[in-house]
Formats: sequence, C-alpha cells, structure tokens
Amino acid sequence: MRQYITRRLLEMIPVLIGISILIFVIFQLAPGDAVSAIVDPKTSAETKAKLREQLHLNEPILVQYKYWVMDILKGQWGESFYYKQPVSRVINSFIWNSFYLSLASFLLSAILSIPIGVLSATKQYSKFDYIFTIFALIGISMPSFFFGLLLIKWFAVDLKLFPVSGMTNPGSTATGFALFKEVMHHMALPLIVLTLGSLAGLMRYTRSSMLEVIRQDYIRTARAKGLREKVVIYKHALRNALIPVVTIFGMSLPGLFSGAIITEQIFNWPGIGPIELQAVNTRDYPLLMGINMLLALLTLLGNLIADVTYALVDPRIRLK
Amino acid sequence: MQTVRSVEAKIREEKILGPWQLAWIRLKRNKLAMLGLYILIFMVLLSVFGPMISPYNMETLDLSNISAPPSLSHPLGTDEVGRDVLTRVMYAGRISLSVGIVAVLISVLIGSIVGAISGYYGGIIDAVLMRIVDIFMCFPFLPLLLMVAAVMSDYKIHPNYRIYVVMFIIGILSWPGLSRIIRGQILSLREQEFIQAAEALGLRDRRKIFRHLLPNTFSSIIVSATLEVAGAILTESALSYLGLGVTPPTPSWGNMVNAVTDAYVFQFYPWRWVPPGICIFITVMAINLLGDGLRDALDPKLKH
Amino acid sequence: MDELLIIKNLKTYFYTDEGVVKAVDDVSLRINRGQTLCIVGESGCGKSITAMSILRLIPDPPGKIEGGEIIFEGKDLLKLSDDEVREIRGNKISMIFQEPMTSLNPVFTIGNQIIEAIMLHQKLDKKEATKKSVEALKLVGIPRAEEIINAYPHELSGGMRQRAMIAMAMVCNPTLLIADEPTTALDVTIQAQILDLMRKLKEETKTSIMLITHDLGVVAEMAEYVTVMYAGKVVEEADVIELFKNPKHPYTLGLLESKPQIHIDKEKLYSIPGQVPNPFNLPKGCYFFPRCERAMEICKEVMPTLKEVGNGHKVACHLYGGDNNE
Repeated sequence: MRQYITRRLLEMIPVLIGISILIFVIFQLAPGDAVSAIVDPKTSAETKAKLREQLHLNEPILVQYKYWVMDILKGQWGESFYYKQPVSRVINSFIWNSFYLSLASFLLSAILSIPIGVLSATKQYSKFDYIFTIFALIGISMPSFFFGLLLIKWFAVDLKLFPVSGMTNPGSTATGFALFKEVMHHMALPLIVLTLGSLAGLMRYTRSSMLEVIRQDYIRTARAKGLREKVVIYKHALRNALIPVVTIFGMSLPGLFSGAIITEQIFNWPGIGPIELQAVNTRDYPLLMGINMLLALLTLLGNLIADVTYALVDPRIRLK
Repeated sequence: MQTVRSVEAKIREEKILGPWQLAWIRLKRNKLAMLGLYILIFMVLLSVFGPMISPYNMETLDLSNISAPPSLSHPLGTDEVGRDVLTRVMYAGRISLSVGIVAVLISVLIGSIVGAISGYYGGIIDAVLMRIVDIFMCFPFLPLLLMVAAVMSDYKIHPNYRIYVVMFIIGILSWPGLSRIIRGQILSLREQEFIQAAEALGLRDRRKIFRHLLPNTFSSIIVSATLEVAGAILTESALSYLGLGVTPPTPSWGNMVNAVTDAYVFQFYPWRWVPPGICIFITVMAINLLGDGLRDALDPKLKH
Repeated sequence: MDELLIIKNLKTYFYTDEGVVKAVDDVSLRINRGQTLCIVGESGCGKSITAMSILRLIPDPPGKIEGGEIIFEGKDLLKLSDDEVREIRGNKISMIFQEPMTSLNPVFTIGNQIIEAIMLHQKLDKKEATKKSVEALKLVGIPRAEEIINAYPHELSGGMRQRAMIAMAMVCNPTLLIADEPTTALDVTIQAQILDLMRKLKEETKTSIMLITHDLGVVAEMAEYVTVMYAGKVVEEADVIELFKNPKHPYTLGLLESKPQIHIDKEKLYSIPGQVPNPFNLPKGCYFFPRCERAMEICKEVMPTLKEVGNGHKVACHLYGGDNNE
C-alpha cells in the first residue's frame, strides 16, 4: 500500500508540472502586465520599471516561469493585488468558511443519498422510485443560482424566515452555542441549494449502481442460499453497489475546500467562492493563480484518495 | 402453410430492423424521454420562430412603458427601458441553445479525435494524451472556466462576439471527459474481430479509426453529447449570470437573471428574472430526460 | 417409488413490453429420491426457468408463476409463505449455477459465503461453521482448504470456484440439488472432473440431482431419467437407456443426430433446421412443427399431448398413438 501511494505521488509530478504550465500560460495570455495592475496609473515610469525588474517581468518567459514555480515551491504564493496580503493568508482566512458549508452539505447528501438510492433501486418503478427519480432530475437540471435566488425571495425576503445573506448577523458578537446557532440559521438556505445538486447526483449514482448489482448472478446465489431479502440487499448487494459510490465520495473530498462558487456568491457566504469571483473581477492574478493551483492540488489528492478507498473496499483491486 | 410463411416473414422483418430503428422504437416507448423531446422541440421552435412572430423587437425601447407588469400586450411585462421581456426571453433562447450546442460540438470534435487516437495507438501517444486529459480534469471546472473567462474579458471583445468566445471556452474545456469514454470504447473495440479483420485487410490507420472504430462509438457519443448540452447550457447561464459569459445588450437566459443585482427588481419585478430562470430549468430538464432515454434506448449497459 | 419432487402443470409466464412469454407452459415432471433427472433442451426452452420456479427465484416482475403445483416431500412449495420457502432454499434444496465466475459474491471470501449458509440453516456458531466449511471444501476436492477459505473468488480458477459453489450447495446436506448447466462455462477437462465430483457426492449422500443441460454427452454420463423440453413444454421423457436406444420425438432425434459421434463417420454434422420459435409468436399446433421433417397436416392445427408409448416412455407427438380422438 505504501509503495502504491508513493508511486502515485511520484506520478503526480508530471501532472502538476502540466497544471502549473497551464495556469501560467493562461495568465500570460492576459493583456498588460502585473505592474499596470498593481500600481495606480499616475506612478512614474521609473518606479514602474523598478517594479518590473523586481518581479522579473523583463526576463524571458521561461525564466519568469522558473521564478514563479520556485516561489510556489518555497510556499511564497505572492501577494494579492487587492488585499495587499500574502495569497496564502487570504486563502486561509476564507477557505474554512467554505469548508464548513461544504462539509455540512457533503454529510447531508451522503446520509440521504444512499438509503434513497438503494430503496429506489430495490423498488424500481414504484411510487417511491418515481418520486425520487423526478426529484433527482429536478436537482440536476436546476441552475443553482436561480434556485438560490428563488429561496432567498421566498424564505428570506417574503417570509423572513432566514437571513438573506452572510454567515453571521452584521456586527454580531455571539460566541459559543449562540454563534453556532446563528451560523446554522444563515447556513440553512445555501445548504439546501448545495445539497439539492449533490444529493440528486449521488442518488442517481447509487440507484444505478444498485440496479446493476441486483441483476448479478451472485445475488441470485445469495437468494438461493435462503438468505433473508434484507441480508441479500443490505449485505450482498449494497456492499458491491457502494464500491463506485465510495469512490465518488473520495473524489469529492477536495471539493469541500474549493467551495461552491456560485452558491456562496448568491448568499454572500464569506468563503473562497466570492473571493475568487472578486479576484476575477479585480484581475487579482496572484490570488487567482494561487487559488487555482491549490484547487488542482486538492483534486489530484482527491483522485488518489478515491483510488485508495477503491482498493480498500474492493478485494479484486490489488495495489502494486 | 400460410401461417408458417407469415411467421417466417415476420421474423425476417424483425431482423431487418437496424440497431438505430430498434433504439428509436425503444425511445418512443419511453414516455418521459418523449416528453423531454417534445418540450425541447417546443423550446427550439419558440426560440427560432418566436422573435419573428413577436410584434416587438428585442432592442426597441419604450420609455413610456418601463418595468410594466405582465399584461395582454406584454405577457411577461417589460424591463427597465420598456423592452418586451417575452421577446427577449425567446431571443435569449437562441443564444443559450446555440451556445450549448456549438460548445458541445467543439467538445465532441476534440474529445472523439483525442479519444480515438489515444485508444487506437496506445503506448506513448496514449500516455501523453491521457496525462493532458488528467491535467484538464484536475481543475474544478468552474474555477478554470472563470480564470479563462477573466483573461478573455481583458481583451475587451465586442459584446456581439462574446458569444463565440463563450462557446469556444466551454467547448475547449469540456472535451476531456468524453475523450476518456471514447478511448475506453476504442480500446475494447480494437480487440474485436471486425477490427482484426480490417487489420488483416491492411487498411490505413485513418480509415480504420474514422470508418470502423469511431462509428461504433456513435451511440455513446450521442448520449454523452446530449447530456453535455444540458451541462453546457447550465454553464453558460451561470457564467452569464456572473457577468463573465454573454453580456448585454445580447440577451441570454443567464444574463437576464442577472437583473436581480438590482434589489428592487429582485423583490418587486419578478417577471424580469423568473421566466428566463424557468426557461433554463425546463430546457435543461428536457435535455436530461431525452439524454437518459437515449442512454436506455441505445445501450442499456451504458452507465453515467 | 419414492417420489421426492413432483411438478404438476407448472406455468411460469413473463410479462414483457412485447407481450407475454410462456417460458414454462404446463410442465409436469418428477424426481425420485436418489435419482438424477436431466432436463435437456436448447437455450430458451424453459429448463432454467423450471428450475428457478422450484425455489421461487423467478424475478417478479416481470416473471410470475401462474399455475400448477410443486410438491416437495409432500408439501406444495407454491403454497408456502416466503419464510417457509427460505427455510428450504440452500437447506433441503440447493442450487448451483452456470457461471462460477459471476455466481460468487466478489467482495466476500469463499469461507464467509459458505459459513453464512451453515449458520443460517444449522444454527451452528461461527467456529463450528468454519470447521464445517473447511470439511465441505475438502469434500469437493479443494486442496489447502484451510487457506482457500480466506480467499476471494477472483483468486480461484473457474473449476475451483465451481467446486466451491458445490461445497456451498452441499454443506447443508440437501435432499435435492439443482444444477443449472454446471459445466457449460468450464474447460472440457474441468467439466469431466466436476461431473465426476457430482456423481461421487450423489453416491455418498444419496442426494437427488436435477441436472439441466443442453449437452447430451452430459446426459449420457449422469442421467437416470431424462426430460426433453422444447419451447416451454415437455416433449419427451424416458429412462436414459430407453431414450438413447429408442428416441421418439423428431426433436429428440434431431438433438441426438446433431451430436458428434466418434465411431460413426458422417459427411456433415446434422443440425435441426430453423430456429427456436419466437416466444411471442408461437405456431398454433405443435411448436416444433415449422422445423419438423416429419410434420403432418394435423401438426399444424392440434397441439399434441404427452402420451405413454410403453416402457414408461412418454412423448408428445402425433406420430405416435392415436391423438386424433383427443
């Protein structure tokens, strides 16, 4: 196992290099250079030239890439144009808010999707299956920004049941349990939006995986042995059906940090999403590059986690 | 002997039905898929012919009648400069649908060529191409898209051409998934007898790939592409909602919903942002219904 | 004679989009204690469905047992509750399947899957059950049974897996073993080994076997009594020696003729003309009539019934006995 993980980590290196090149190239494509973005237009040409020198902007492109990569390796992800702070500090101060929201949604959809998917599959074509198939379809077809807006309109603006946006009340000084309650109250609507999408996907996935499994010969064998239907379904079938589902879970772990850009934006949740959008709008390239580099890294890690969990739950896979 | 002959004739008739005809028969039996197809046809007709029939022009201002609620003359009301919302929604449908379709065409073109080459040649070519796919797939889709969209915006492209940029970037960023599917299928097809026969005939690679291998993956290409159109429409709408996709004055469903940035519009003029939102939802759902039905009809074994 | 299982007029239908398939249509057969019955027929003739109907394993929907009786040790299985049938499954009647590759659950060890059956039916604790499953594996000729018990199915060869399936089926000492094409998916040499094993087990345990096959070679080797099925119906049944010596039904004759034989030099291997009839569009008279070389006028119109023609030999064909007065 350790050997496998080491090998996979080594295999990541070329992919990481590719990712860094891609990010770098995309930003090289942007017109103008970093200096004109940082300083206000009135700055003297001399100062600008000096800055260019400092940022290695006069060097050939390959040398610039080298400097950038070295900085990243050293953990210096540059300074955000907008916040005038190191990128890592900006990311760190927002990423955890994304994490809380995404984790809640992840847990909720995991807990709900498996039983619903299993029941839908075992009672295929029943009313239950029908209702949740439609529900899942709505879930994957609903644009999250529109759904979020509708929820805000109905439940926050019209009915005033939930706050319109943010994570806490403005100027809130609550601590401890009161703070928790306040955050939960703010989290409710974005959580619904976020969960609808992921729940729908996972439900469909669990259902089709389960449908596939209950057609298998070994399920017939289990029945022929005289096992109870519950044992057949929840031991023999579910154990197999969950293999691909668990892989999906593994893969979605990094997503907990990447946040849900649109949902966070709609509800003004102070996570990484609105920050990224702001960075896009203010052309805060160091921050954008940093966020994207981090997300790509996390995704790579997620794929590794997915493969390892796959091997853990499926005895047919031997890691070499 | 009459009965015998008719039975045999019937069996023969059944055999003549090609796989596509069989798929069509299966699809026709799937009520939900047909519902999706009908809704989709309706939305397409509405978008294509609606603006022609409408008495209003999507750009004509009517300052005497701004932000009017729905009425007989304006079924979905008017916007802040008195333009007819229904006409704009129908016109936006053209934009949103064509962005979705063209983006997917680009993605299918790249995805199937890369997948086919990778699966057919294997070895180093496969390894390199699949690493490239890995790199693309390592990015969460939306952040990468936002990044590219931001850079593109810096080029100050005229709003009328933004739509082509949006088609292009969605297409160019969404092919890797499809290429993996095609590669997998080509790999298994290559082992089958008819390709070994083509091998023995000494056909040229290009002919083998485009005449013999790729056509056999059409059913999965069609299914993936259909479902991808739904995804592309959702992506375009989100991008345009955020102001990074199709920008006004060209209407798209996404940027029409963007009217909510005005809190007053959000709260009191729902006719300006709810209808385009519903259009996105309905269209995407119809495509998903159709896509699911196609998957069941074309290849019951195919899984998402 | 001591009858273990009597099937009377069994009807199992499948309701599909294209119409009703009468997969098993009015089938009657019996198995005596300690006897091996072979059911022979081409694929799709209803032999597997008959077997699955006995244990009520027909997936519903689309399948449904529409009529008949399945009397096992004096009780009608079709009238038992689900729980009562479950008591019998894997205990008094057990079943092995065609595909040893896919019939074992890939995520559980061989031992786990055998122990499960023992603990369910014999109320033994885990330790005893483990001991017993090792014995069962040894009995079916699996070497290093103590290790194999911890192996996963994918780690075994096809033959070994089928042995493990047999061990799993035999571990509760069933009085009836239903084997659905148990050797079809295996190599020829392994086939012979598995058949030998089944014969040996039968002699030791006096278990009755219902063997389903399309291979007349297997029939000749294993059967005591043979039932031939065609399109959901029994067309002929007889003692194995009688059937091979004196086959009556043109379909049986065709099957026998299409079997390659070493001693007889034939120009070309015979094959029955035509194909198994479309289940949605069965002919009005005898189902075999469109493919029959000896068809008569009456065959087109009237379905022949199963009739005794001497020596306990029954056949459903208008060529034998005056069916006309029916």
